[in-house]
Amino acid sequence: MLQDSGFIGVEIGEAVDTFGGAKGEDNARAFEVYGYAFMAHRST
Amino acid sequence: MAEDLLVDPEALRAQVRGKYREVAVDPGASFHFHTGRDLARRLGYDAAAVGTLPDRAVESFAGVGNPFSLRPLAPGEKVVDVGSGAGFDSFIAAGQVGPRGQVVGVDMTPEMLAKSRHTAEALGLAHAEFREGLAEALPVEDDWADVVISNGVINLCADKQAVFAEIRRVLRPGGRLQFADIANGRPVPVAAMRDIDLWTG
Repeated sequence: MLQDSGFIGVEIGEAVDTFGGAKGEDNARAFEVYGYAFMAHRST
Repeated sequence: MAEDLLVDPEALRAQVRGKYREVAVDPGASFHFHTGRDLARRLGYDAAAVGTLPDRAVESFAGVGNPFSLRPLAPGEKVVDVGSGAGFDSFIAAGQVGPRGQVVGVDMTPEMLAKSRHTAEALGLAHAEFREGLAEALPVEDDWADVVISNGVINLCADKQAVFAEIRRVLRPGGRLQFADIANGRPVPVAAMRDIDLWTG
């Protein structure tokens, strides 16, 4: 989707256990939901 | 509603406003996600930078990752924070870009905006301001930003393509998008994705 929107050079960081220990942990585990950092540049 | 969207954008916005109004006015309440300083530690934010911020700048933080982890911002950069909430990431950004830079936070929840504006004033941050607006219609001129940041916001927008197009509009050519968000490793059933109550927990 980023590339379709005119971004290039997409980088993705390590997965972070965003919901571990929170009330939403069970749902997060069920669908393997993690937080990620993304970086991309606007194409010229 | 556009046929290819899973939920009605305005209904989802109302749901999101309600949830994050709670986070703004009662950050100590129990949510399905972590908040505040504990969350900032969990997500790997720079402890020294977070430690300089007062509680009101941190307590309503509800991000899902660290948009600064892949690359810190540079002094003098102009930054837009999409869905700035109570301003935590904007204040971290303001520290990184310094007084020669500029930070514009954009949020749609009045209680979050009031909180971020009050904190910026209390901190004397003349180079950070907060504007009311939507991720799909940012109140920022074309090609203005060197960097757009966002944290846990785009997944709460019904039309993500529209959000990315708007972010591209406000970025200068070659500018960077640095955002954090959630992604699932297993497919979520379509019926669940159409259930608006599940979008905000």
